[in-house]
Amino acid sequence: MEYFNIFVKGIFIENMIFAYFLGMCSYLAVSKTVKTANGLGLAVIFVLGITVPINYLLENYVLKEGALSWLSPEYANVDLGFLSYIMFIAVIASMVQLVEMIVEKFAPALYGALGIFLPLIAVNCSILGGALFMQDRQYPSIGEATVFGLGSGVGWWIAIVAIAAIREKIRYSHVPAPLRGLGITFIITGLMGIAFMSFMGIEI
Amino acid sequence: MAINKNSTVYTFGFSIAMVIVVGISLAYTSLSLKDRQDANAADKKMMNILSAIGVEANRANAGDLFADYVVERVSIDGSGRQVNATVDPVNAKDKQDPFSIEVMKDYRAKIKSAVKAADGDAATLQAALESADLQFPLYRCSKDDQDLFVVPLVGSGLWGPIWGFVALEDDMTTIYGANFDHKTETPGLGAEIREGFFTDKFRGKKLNTAGPLLFSILKGGAQTNENSVDGITGGTITSKGVDEMINRTLAVYLRYFESQTQTRAQK
Amino acid sequence: MSTETTPAVTQKKESLFSKKNKKLLSDPLNDSNPITVQVLGICSALAITVQLQQAVIMSLSVLFVMIGGNVIISLMRNLVPDRIRIIVQLVVVASLVIIVDEVLQAFQPDISEKLSVFVGLIITNCIIMGRLEAFALANKPGPSFLDAIGNGMGYAWILLVVSIVREIFGSGAISLPGMGQVKFLPTSWFISEGGLYENNNLMILPPMALITVGIIIWIQRSRNQALIEEN
Repeated sequence: MEYFNIFVKGIFIENMIFAYFLGMCSYLAVSKTVKTANGLGLAVIFVLGITVPINYLLENYVLKEGALSWLSPEYANVDLGFLSYIMFIAVIASMVQLVEMIVEKFAPALYGALGIFLPLIAVNCSILGGALFMQDRQYPSIGEATVFGLGSGVGWWIAIVAIAAIREKIRYSHVPAPLRGLGITFIITGLMGIAFMSFMGIEI
Repeated sequence: MAINKNSTVYTFGFSIAMVIVVGISLAYTSLSLKDRQDANAADKKMMNILSAIGVEANRANAGDLFADYVVERVSIDGSGRQVNATVDPVNAKDKQDPFSIEVMKDYRAKIKSAVKAADGDAATLQAALESADLQFPLYRCSKDDQDLFVVPLVGSGLWGPIWGFVALEDDMTTIYGANFDHKTETPGLGAEIREGFFTDKFRGKKLNTAGPLLFSILKGGAQTNENSVDGITGGTITSKGVDEMINRTLAVYLRYFESQTQTRAQK
Repeated sequence: MSTETTPAVTQKKESLFSKKNKKLLSDPLNDSNPITVQVLGICSALAITVQLQQAVIMSLSVLFVMIGGNVIISLMRNLVPDRIRIIVQLVVVASLVIIVDEVLQAFQPDISEKLSVFVGLIITNCIIMGRLEAFALANKPGPSFLDAIGNGMGYAWILLVVSIVREIFGSGAISLPGMGQVKFLPTSWFISEGGLYENNNLMILPPMALITVGIIIWIQRSRNQALIEEN
């Protein structure tokens, strides 16, 4: 139940795009066709599902105040929290590289679909955002952290596929010239955000 | 230049030098600012405690006002026995000081799972809280020649943790004031628990020490009596969370209050 | 989407305020604005535009990280091995962000609490990485410094405009640093007090930040036809 709650919340209520604007850069740049948007979206789900739990372990067994006490009780007062940003981004950058290599070697078909997007993802705010929200909200177990990562990823995927579909169609409409492209995309995203806000009242 | 900056040796050397420089400078920044940051956190806590007894403090005067109003800090265990009490100035670094008990941390680590396991059964929950290694802080304040007891609360709302403080008058059953806060509740619905129109309702209400529930938050619009207040319409789960944390936490403190009144009567 | 690459400065001696260097400052404010034209750095920008005060602190933080990052990378540009240059940039930016975060926690605790994770997200702010990669790695510290100020200001003014619009219409007030919230309208004008005015709560909610930026783009491009995109 708790898992389902976190998952749904990640997709609809705390949607990375509509509620926090995370990953907007690639969201705006790669949403011209549904096919590529779909590829990038899936890659984001994949990477969030991997990096959030890894960063969770890092946070809880290395960085947090007292996290090192499993090594020896002497370290109970060590607080490496100030290093968390640098560690998270390093983990994300190296995991993305690693995943890219593994996927290329063992699943060439998947690599064909996701490969070109993976390097883009290391600096996608939604990935670091996932890690930072995980830290901020202090999920009690790695399972919940993973579900949160996957839920946020799915939310991001839905957002980018939806906007890509709309942008494909909007080409046939008479958008005022200065709004074409970027401007109208911003406004549509805003309207979609308002639509997504109707999920806020739900209780599970 | 003689050095080939793309050679492996150079790359490794560069990385190591960078790690050392970055590590030292960050550790230095963090350590030199730590005291200030801790002081800020302590000020914030004092402001919250003071606001429960109706004293509005800001960061500049929180420490002084806290020293003026809070006369004693007590820590009690899960069965209501006093563990520690102090009247000394606050020392946030001293782990024995009741002020440094981190109720949010304890709630996350131990209490939340106990509440879930008890599934509404008060006796099971009480047993779990007694056996767990927990301490609860209590602030005895003095305002307008009246003793007030401030109790910190932590619980779960719909989306995340909610917390707050309740101040009791010296009869230990009348609510003097309350405040609640949250980070993630639904704006316009559950989020309203932090607003004055909700917290004002608690003022003057009484705890129903005869049981079964000490205090109830009713569904919005229901008839209330002196042991209950209206919940927030549309914020049912958040209201239930407030209800749960008040009943669970105050039950522990009431046991302490009862033992206090008994010892006082014996004297 | 135009990604502007500035050619490396090759002249031997050049005054810091030559025409070209002035362009480094002024271009990002309008023609190649990082947010409305290059579409960079929106991630960490919009979520904190509910109040002017937060936006000011956020802009200053980004400006600091940009200037620091651009100058440091520019000073190191002949030392950084090519293979690890992205990681080096990330580490420099992340360290600067950590410093900003620690300083905010120590001196502006209330604002730091409100900005929460968004300070950390400056690390992945694409403007910063983009300028480091495209400009600082190829230019001297002087021009890099100006480029950082230009882009930082280009980012800041959008943030400030969005936050002013949202706060005025959403809360009927402006929060000036050091003065708290300054209300414009007398309380008696509000419906709750028997008046006719009501704050538009929609403005406080996240989607309106996007729509406000959309409208800024609309205005900017109507005035500067060269920026209009082909469909």
